Amino acid sequence: MARIQSPPILSQIRVARSYSEQVASLRALKDEVVGHVQRKEKWVEQGVLESLIKMLQPNRSPSRLSGKEARDSSGQPKVLTEDELVRLHALQLIASFANGGPPFIAPLHAVDAIPVIASHISSLDQPPQIVLTALRALSNIADAMRLSTPASDGIEFLAETLFVPRYLEALCAILSSDSTAPVVQEQKCLVASLISRLCKQPHHQNSLASTGILDALATMLASFVVARGEVVPTAEILAEADGLAEMIPDPVPQGLELAAVLEAISAIIADSRFRAYMLICSPSIMAVFPSAEFSPPARDTRAAWNALETHGLRDVQVKAQGAIDYLLPLVPVTQPRLLSSHLAQYPPLGSSRENLGQSTPTNKFSPWTSTFESVNNNDTESDDPESPLIPWLIHLVRTTQGLERVMAASVLASLFKAGFASPDREVSFGVLVVPLLCQLIKDCLKEQEKNPSAVKQISSFVERKTAVDWVILERTPAVLARFVADSECLQHAAHDCDALRYACKMLKDTYEPIYNQKAPRPWSPNPDTGGGMGEGLSTCRLGHPGQLPICAHLMRLRESSLKLLAAMIIKDEYHKALIEQDIVPYIVESLTRSPSKPKSSKEKPKSEKKADEPPLPAGGSPYGDNPNSVIIAACHVVRILGRSVRDLRTSLEDHAVAMPIFRLLRDPDTEVQVAACAAVCNLVPEVSPMREPLIEAGIIKVLCEHAHSQDPGLRLNSMWALKHLVWAVDNKTKKQCLEELESGWLVQLITADTEDDALHARTQRRSQDTDEDEDMDSETYDDDDGRSWTWPAMFREPCPAKSASLRTHSPRMQKAEKKLLALRDAEINPIRKARNDDLAIQEQAINFIRNLIGQSMTENVAEMVDYVFDQIGQEKLFEILAGKLRVRVLHPFARRYSTGRDTRVLYPQAKVIEAVIFVLVHIAASKPQHRQLVIAQRDLLKLLEQHFNSKDSGVRLALCHFLTNLVWPDDSSDAAACGQRAQELRKLGFLTRLEALEQEDAELDVRERARSAAFQMKLGND
Amino acid sequence: MTSSSSTTTPSKHAFETRVGDVKAPKSGINALILDYLTKEGYPEAAAKFSKEANLELQQEKTNIKRRREIQHAIHVGDIETAITALNDLDPEILDMEPQLHFSLLRLQLVELIRQCNGGDITPALDFATTKLAPRAAMNSDFLKDLEKTMALLIFPHDSLQPEHAALLHSDLRSKTATEVNEAVLMRQAQGEAALRQLVKMRAWAESAARSKKKDLPERIELGLNGEDNDDYENGHEPMIIST
Repeated sequence: MARIQSPPILSQIRVARSYSEQVASLRALKDEVVGHVQRKEKWVEQGVLESLIKMLQPNRSPSRLSGKEARDSSGQPKVLTEDELVRLHALQLIASFANGGPPFIAPLHAVDAIPVIASHISSLDQPPQIVLTALRALSNIADAMRLSTPASDGIEFLAETLFVPRYLEALCAILSSDSTAPVVQEQKCLVASLISRLCKQPHHQNSLASTGILDALATMLASFVVARGEVVPTAEILAEADGLAEMIPDPVPQGLELAAVLEAISAIIADSRFRAYMLICSPSIMAVFPSAEFSPPARDTRAAWNALETHGLRDVQVKAQGAIDYLLPLVPVTQPRLLSSHLAQYPPLGSSRENLGQSTPTNKFSPWTSTFESVNNNDTESDDPESPLIPWLIHLVRTTQGLERVMAASVLASLFKAGFASPDREVSFGVLVVPLLCQLIKDCLKEQEKNPSAVKQISSFVERKTAVDWVILERTPAVLARFVADSECLQHAAHDCDALRYACKMLKDTYEPIYNQKAPRPWSPNPDTGGGMGEGLSTCRLGHPGQLPICAHLMRLRESSLKLLAAMIIKDEYHKALIEQDIVPYIVESLTRSPSKPKSSKEKPKSEKKADEPPLPAGGSPYGDNPNSVIIAACHVVRILGRSVRDLRTSLEDHAVAMPIFRLLRDPDTEVQVAACAAVCNLVPEVSPMREPLIEAGIIKVLCEHAHSQDPGLRLNSMWALKHLVWAVDNKTKKQCLEELESGWLVQLITADTEDDALHARTQRRSQDTDEDEDMDSETYDDDDGRSWTWPAMFREPCPAKSASLRTHSPRMQKAEKKLLALRDAEINPIRKARNDDLAIQEQAINFIRNLIGQSMTENVAEMVDYVFDQIGQEKLFEILAGKLRVRVLHPFARRYSTGRDTRVLYPQAKVIEAVIFVLVHIAASKPQHRQLVIAQRDLLKLLEQHFNSKDSGVRLALCHFLTNLVWPDDSSDAAACGQRAQELRKLGFLTRLEALEQEDAELDVRERARSAAFQMKLGND
Repeated sequence: MTSSSSTTTPSKHAFETRVGDVKAPKSGINALILDYLTKEGYPEAAAKFSKEANLELQQEKTNIKRRREIQHAIHVGDIETAITALNDLDPEILDMEPQLHFSLLRLQLVELIRQCNGGDITPALDFATTKLAPRAAMNSDFLKDLEKTMALLIFPHDSLQPEHAALLHSDLRSKTATEVNEAVLMRQAQGEAALRQLVKMRAWAESAARSKKKDLPERIELGLNGEDNDDYENGHEPMIIST
């Protein structure tokens, strides 16, 4: 038997004179290491990786060529040349080393393996086996990276390397290949699963969508539709007319996994309307799923529908049923409009509507983007019939099992959240999809109970079945959360299925301690082998052992169950159910990096409330070390619980949530800070018992620091929190806030278009660069280089010229293209984003002033008004406020924006206007002198007058308040001045305006306020 | 579907008439046969049959052949060759299936012990130390199996306990060979032969139906002998499938 020490192979590899010698020694090496972790370690320490990588370098020294290979040019494509054989074996070996897990990542990085491997994935110039092996190697590396700590860095690096135009093209080519060879199917599966593991960042998701990968995946999905025989009848005829006849794919060949395809699609779409629509209008999907009316040949099918209609259980005017609808059970619509309008009842405390997408990082600015999107909805969507893809996906969820079911539901959730499902579907989801997802969770949990040893396996190896169960358990709660988060009716459905209880159980289960977090090491006959760590070249040194798969799984499960919890408790009435589960201690522990045992409130010593208690050192908590994603999810739960005054005063206070959150404000990670800040927004309002301790702990200073942050999300949320904080505190604290924030900076926040300017500067710089160098990096918004983005699918090969021209002239395709471009613009355009960011921050900053001079705890409000005048400057303040009411033009001379829809004319936004008026309302409410000051601002008043016909009822209401205050006489000494003010206002036409509101306004509230304001004004006048 | 009338007459059971009514399409049967030939590793037969039945080959001939070669190597006890060939066919499989790798290595150990019967046991000991013992430390099942195998070194082979004797029986080889074959097929997203699945399903269905006291004939023939002349060949006991 050969001893383990066999450097002869290594030297043979290094000095081999011919390819065949090399191949032989690589084969021998493979038999040595495959399946033997210890030997892999030994070989890496001897530096084998470097030699392997050298073999993969593109231009190896030609001196090694062992005479001309005879076979390669003989037209036998399947036989590899000797050079290729060497590469194949080298790649197989690297793939095998990567299977060794996280310790092998560091040496692989050191030899810069990833780019070298990636250069082998182009199916155009590499034989299929080599492409397959290269993909396997990448996939194994990705798996190992997911277990190294922190996982996100490695994955991010891999994504950055792989998702560049060169390789994206290669990936796309693999996915669009129409070969039925098993090798190709395996390649496709690997590409799909790589995408699902790597594609987390929006800029990657966009580039994958824009380069046609999403289209390729959609085509694969369509080929599953064909294989299942579920193409809409008459699709072929309709496709012909639109030039899509070639787009109906062949049935899917054997070996392709539906779950993998769906997962990749879902990873790319995530929470984007643009990408969701891109899936729906991808030519193959449009070809197999035209929206066509359908009457089933069998009459009795239709009869059931008719019966429902006659009994009023279905909207008669509901659009005609498509063929796919007949695959689904009938769902009577009983409660017509309980749906989707509920969230407005909650005042948005903190930036609302968290993005619950898989790991889309932020919750910033969502209120703004959604308003912008809804504008978009109205003009394009009303006449757009729902794609049959939606009912088909419901059908798929119902007819598949396990992983496929979860992934189908995940895609469906994306489409639903993007608003592409018709409103009636919500009820269908409630009875057809949500219960199935809950059942999946239930089944998985039951399975685990039956087989507890599989749950807690302390091993670096996980059986395939267990791994699949884990994925199902990790993904399902998150998918469910996305379904229910914005829908009261679906929350109700999930509640009926006990989803909340399962979520609590899962969260509790993840806090079962695992004391031994090291995988058992293989026994070794010569135990001195471990000494090599930490010495030698970096290319030969093994890295950190990483996490156990079970620990990584538990963390993902923790994140997912927290997401589900957050989504289930949006409504107040479910809070009680949550509290009864005694889950709050677990949520609190999820707020710390190194959690300890969750304790119920009674056990919790009060002394723990010290703010400066140092966080536990990271690493090795038996309860697992919470990654950012868990902490962010926990912050979100706290934020939602904080919306309820009762919970603020009871459970949250009892479990001392304030201090862990406060510590997170100083977390090194910005995203965590943003999430913590969002939670703080709901912990510091007047009603919260945590306000005092937080102020004592010094939260004002921290928040003010964050208000100076580079990150727009952090600026927004900290201003938001400060806004809540200064409402109804004593004047001393108010002044301290302003001092800490610095009045100059406050002015800056209100007036400057920081993000916009920064973007402008960036594009300016870039445009100069690109004049010399055409090589753009992939992240740029292509509108920069000449509005060049076109929908690649429109001109996709293979298609005869005839269908191409049909396609470009088909009204259906044109409409789809137009809408796609509009959605893309709404979403990707960095100008829009920058502008929204700026506006959101400006609104909060103005509201900060509003609350600063608003209600105070005890003292005189007027004092604060004077203080603000003193700090900012009286005239300056009025000028700033007036400025916010005007139309502005940004960067008028920038050449890139001088044409088209992006000329930067900035109309004042309703929210900002409302905030400005309320600042004035408060100034006018303080004392007569201040009212006189306001009335003297002629320009300002004139500007205000223009906003009486604002579409936003809030603005109109604010105006009524403002006028009432302005003509309010404090005492008899003010009476004369008051009359004068009323006179002035009348002259400016305000009374007529008020009377018009009183008569005509659609809102009762506005009419009432206008009436009292008008009354007051007339009174003062007399 | 009551069969109360059949109490006295030996006429056909209602179940059997129903069975008789089912017409299996020829193309389905052909596909089943080809599937069996492909997966169980008969490349030539599969090629010929596919030509005859006008079907497309499921897998390339070379693939079937390589699997066959691995099987063969295991059957003759040449595990080293089998592992090399397996690594060549699918370099991932032994990384991904430690259980399978262990089975193979243990079989190799058994072969080594067999070879050194009575003579020098160093090769077997060395092999066990370097290749098997490291794994046994990580998995208690492996440890048990290894201990059992090592017992072969101590006890004389002609008077072994049955559980130890089983290790030297050729069944272990064929069992391991089947395991390897199925693992390879699984990795190629193919799974075991459909015929095997059908046989298992039939056994399950019969026992499920019987336990629910469905009305069934006492014996259900496999029908392999073409005609209905009962009672002779098969089907006396409910099928037991061992895998």
